[in-house]
Amino acid sequence: MPQNPYLNVLSTAGLTVLFIISTSYGLGALARIIARWRGASLKRQQDTFAGYLFAAPWITGFLIFVVAPLASSLYWSFTDFRIAANTPPQWVGLNNYLQLILKDTSFRSSIVNTLFLTVIGLPLQIAAALFLAVLLNQKARGERIFRMAFYLPVILGFNAAVLLCWRLMLNTGTGIINQIIRAVTRAVPPLDILNRAFIFVQELISAFFLGVGSGKYNLFYRMLEAGFPPPNRVPLWIQSPLWTKTSVILLMIWGCGTMMMIFLAGLNNIPRELHESAEVDGANGWQRFWKITFPLLSPYLFYNLVVGMISTLQIFESIYVLYRDNQPLVPSAISMVYYLWQVSFRHFEIGLGSAISWLILVLILIVTLIQFNLQNRWVTYELY
Amino acid sequence: MRTWSRLFGRSFLYLMLVGMTVLMSFPLLWMLSSSLKTLEETNAPGIIWVPAHPTMAAYADLFQNLNFIRSYFNTVFYTALALTGTLASLAFVAYAFSRINWPGRNLVFLLMLSTMMIPPQALIVPQYVFFHRLGWIGTFNPLIIPGFFAGGAAMVFLLRQSMAQIPKELDEAAFVDGASHLQIWWQVVMPLMKTPLATVATFLFVGFWNNLLTPLMYLQTVDLYTLPVYVSTLYNINLTVQPWPTIMAAAVLTTVPLMVIFLFTQQYILESVAVTGLKG
Repeated sequence: MPQNPYLNVLSTAGLTVLFIISTSYGLGALARIIARWRGASLKRQQDTFAGYLFAAPWITGFLIFVVAPLASSLYWSFTDFRIAANTPPQWVGLNNYLQLILKDTSFRSSIVNTLFLTVIGLPLQIAAALFLAVLLNQKARGERIFRMAFYLPVILGFNAAVLLCWRLMLNTGTGIINQIIRAVTRAVPPLDILNRAFIFVQELISAFFLGVGSGKYNLFYRMLEAGFPPPNRVPLWIQSPLWTKTSVILLMIWGCGTMMMIFLAGLNNIPRELHESAEVDGANGWQRFWKITFPLLSPYLFYNLVVGMISTLQIFESIYVLYRDNQPLVPSAISMVYYLWQVSFRHFEIGLGSAISWLILVLILIVTLIQFNLQNRWVTYELY
Repeated sequence: MRTWSRLFGRSFLYLMLVGMTVLMSFPLLWMLSSSLKTLEETNAPGIIWVPAHPTMAAYADLFQNLNFIRSYFNTVFYTALALTGTLASLAFVAYAFSRINWPGRNLVFLLMLSTMMIPPQALIVPQYVFFHRLGWIGTFNPLIIPGFFAGGAAMVFLLRQSMAQIPKELDEAAFVDGASHLQIWWQVVMPLMKTPLATVATFLFVGFWNNLLTPLMYLQTVDLYTLPVYVSTLYNINLTVQPWPTIMAAAVLTTVPLMVIFLFTQQYILESVAVTGLKG
């Protein structure tokens, strides 16, 4: 192998293409032999050969990069396996799972944090998406430009470089967001009350969730006793454990463009006549929203809920960029995937990491199944 | 009376739309503005919307920073190679699922759709061990090679849907002329797939360009770093003053290709997002 990293990967890519071509041809030929043996017509044999030839890259990739990894990580999740130690995996039975579920406080906080993002963040994200979609659906002039502007954060927002800009903006002292909050609350006193109410509620909820994670509710009671925050308080975005998750939620809301597009498609599919005839019958805007728009939009809401839950369970980039290296803050912010990364690639405990991956996988499957079972209760596919 | 309330409603709507646009693009504008500031200005206690004397010093710094230039080149190189391989294999596989009728097709297709349920993070640990055994840690291979196997069921699905809409008569006519499936794929079907291919290419480009997790795992030396990994090292918690103008200039330079590509393909992208719910 050449030492130059670029030539190295180019030659590996060439070899991979050769490998794919030969396995594709092999798989196609094998399928044709089977078809001939089963007495298929000549045309059918040709189609069988071509079908497996063309599908082979995916089939081989599926076996190498999905089936084999899933099977081996299932095995490793029952072992003590440290890749740096150069020792073979040691069978430990259910130890990894028991440790994660019963003892590991970091894992428990990662679950509670993910729960916080799902319970508080996801509804806000969906609400923002719905709001923007309804705005766009008013058929304003220049809709396309607004649509682009609202969607752009999805394209750019997952880039670590852009996320760093949020780290600059969320700085407690000199960050632009707090500067604006200070300026506005000083100029308009009622907004100061609103700001302090927001801070109060947010910190109470966060303290409660931190209590769920650690099992100690001291902080929550102290927050209750301290009562309403003093004037001129500002949010402590990326400075205090009480605010770390809220900052992540801010980023989730910012990146709601995909959900917005789904809602927009749903709104476009609602026949205009329905609204018009309801208006003639004397229904007001509120009634029309709950009797027509909401039921017809519920499949899209359901879709966003399922996909949103799955992607909330997978949050990694924003937490890495905002809180990496910031040890005192990490327990209050880590997501399950961040913890998976930390265990597997900072501590190289592959056995434990495999157990976490399987727990995440099972959790996602359970969430999806529950959602699909619940959907009959509230999702309306047809009005009539 | 009615026209007045309508006028009021419309102006309120535009006010909201413009306000939301400012809010949503504010981080990007702030990124640009901060990249033109001096270090003192980025840490100033007052609000500086736009620097009084914009300076390109941060950009000049970056153009002399060999690590940054190298990471830029790395990102372009890895994205180009991964994109080519992935796009070609996706188009190849989509042909099998849309234009050939073979035994087992529905079963394999269902299997492929079900892989969309598997979170990619559940696979990274065992894949890491696999690449470790191949001796691929510290190379670009793990970031690029898996794509060559038509990685991404959602993308195959998107291409398959468009490919299935091309009239079958075209294939049959080519068959009569003695063309093989390979020739039909390349000469008949592919030229008609330009728009969906461009859409998928954009999704793939955005995904590769922004990818943080896998480069972080596999590229262990600074001369292999891609932009997201390198730029996040510019923020160093041990420094008391962060070099914000440099970081923001790096962020601007990182996002320029994304912006350009999005501007050119936004129409197709937004349409397919609405149809399939794909994430960029």
